[in-house]
Amino acid sequence: MNRSLSFEVFRYAAILGALAITLIPILWMVSMAFKPIPEWQATGDALTWIPKAPTLDNFRFIFGESSSNLIVALDRTAAKPILSSLLSASIGTLIAMSAGTAAAYGLSRFGSGANLPLALIQLRLFPPMAVMIPVMIMWSFLNMMDTWWGLALIYGIVTLPFAFWLMKTFFDDMPREIEEAALVEGCSRARVFWRITLPMMRAPLASAALFVFILNWSDYLIALLLTTREWVTIPVYMASLSSSMTGQLYGAKAALGLIAAVPPVVMGILIQKHLVRGLTFGALKQ
Amino acid sequence: MTATAAPLKDLSQPMSVTAPKPQDEGRKLGFRLTLPAQVLVLFISLFPLLMQLYISLTDWSPLSGMAWPRAWEMWNNFANYTDLISDNRLWSALGRTLLVMVVCVPVEFLLGLGLATLFADDFPGKRIFYSILIMPMMVVPAVAGYMFYMLFQSGGPVNDILSSLLGTPVTVAWLSDPVLAMIAVMVADIWQWTPLMFLILLAGLVGVPEDQMRAATLLGAGPWQRFRTIVLPRMKTIIIIALAIRVIECFKIFDTLYIMTGGGPGVATETISVYIYKITTQDLIWGYVAAIALAILVVLSVACVWAMKRMARAQGDRA
Repeated sequence: MNRSLSFEVFRYAAILGALAITLIPILWMVSMAFKPIPEWQATGDALTWIPKAPTLDNFRFIFGESSSNLIVALDRTAAKPILSSLLSASIGTLIAMSAGTAAAYGLSRFGSGANLPLALIQLRLFPPMAVMIPVMIMWSFLNMMDTWWGLALIYGIVTLPFAFWLMKTFFDDMPREIEEAALVEGCSRARVFWRITLPMMRAPLASAALFVFILNWSDYLIALLLTTREWVTIPVYMASLSSSMTGQLYGAKAALGLIAAVPPVVMGILIQKHLVRGLTFGALKQ
Repeated sequence: MTATAAPLKDLSQPMSVTAPKPQDEGRKLGFRLTLPAQVLVLFISLFPLLMQLYISLTDWSPLSGMAWPRAWEMWNNFANYTDLISDNRLWSALGRTLLVMVVCVPVEFLLGLGLATLFADDFPGKRIFYSILIMPMMVVPAVAGYMFYMLFQSGGPVNDILSSLLGTPVTVAWLSDPVLAMIAVMVADIWQWTPLMFLILLAGLVGVPEDQMRAATLLGAGPWQRFRTIVLPRMKTIIIIALAIRVIECFKIFDTLYIMTGGGPGVATETISVYIYKITTQDLIWGYVAAIALAILVVLSVACVWAMKRMARAQGDRA
């Protein structure tokens, strides 16, 4: 197709505009994370877009080092919430991936669990808010309120649909000749799955696991309802970070937000190829 | 996908004939493999639903001093369900949720489609631009909410940019004005989720065969005509999927919105999820919450089954 010069100019202009809109909110938070307190808010004349005196004080502050500039001290540091987010999101991912991969293989190869695809889509469709009452009652009955394992279990269930659908499409796409050959050689089907299929699927498994991890890491609502103090996750902790004395702790919150935002963005770029597949339940491949 | 699936099935046929037992072995293994997922699904659906139904018929609350199994003592003759019909706050929350949906989803779709069209063929810098443009959807929604909370402060960057564009100082308190707060919340949603539309629609656009487009151009079809007659029909399913995903997620909208406004000022940005969250954690009228939740589940299930039936029929028509 012959593209005119004016089209190219238009294209770059439009894309640069979109890039600016995409980046300004992110860069504002990054900039805020490195600003000293006096630069947090507009003082009289103009806003500080780029920190004039960049500092790591905000990061030091959320990890409990008392800052000479802030009158307040935190009653707890960001370390535990980070640990909580890490533990619950990764164990949740492990649960979703184990159950999801096994079930996807069972359905893809042996036609077992034919009810699962629809049941899992429905699970995804419902707003979590609409099932939280019974979940809260069950979790407190099982003594899982405000624990990282309680969160991990619900994360494992909530992201199971994604793990299942992603792995199902990967298994459906996988050529079966090698499996068939191993069967002819006399391998049992369980052994074929364990020793041949799974090792072959290492890369898809890793992508799916990263995808599921991003979803678990991003949760706010569930942690807000199921944790109260000991094992609050980063987003819940972040929302609670403000005090009546200083008002909003802009810089500290931005520093924490930056810590929360980096892992999923990096992972998302790593699995770019599979994002569409993951987001559309495998209906679409890139 | 169907093209590759067919020969594979034929391959497996002689297998089951030569080996007598694998079928049986496979069924057993398949059952065992799907068992954990089945257990998890049952654990989160059947029992909670029954419990929800039971509680929704009573006035039970965690403050009522008795365990939930004894909720029948507070049986209230379906009062929760009749209350629900006259609950104005619920209906306006539903209205706001639908408003967010009918504004955000089309805007995200059009912006995403526009961007995807620009990315349909190769140009210098494409990969890096693409990676940056899809970043917002990977930002933790609660963090995105906080970003926009900062941006929309009266002394924040949005007003700063507006001031320099308009030439006069703008000091609008976005998040404390009922209408402006709603706009701010929608802007945040559009910022975060346009990339998803872009990503999915681009995947669809790339699949449109180049030679058909070239032939159409040779026959004198303009860009709009090419788009309508070649691109659109091929992308129909993809567009439906993309829209469906966003409609569903928009209905659940909570994280960004709650961090930005907490549903306020007053109840000006209170959506369904925020409303349910508030009456769950502040009013603690769990019997009533259960009734609302169950009503939503029923409506969504019916809508889901209806949509799937329609999609299946549409697919049948095409085949």
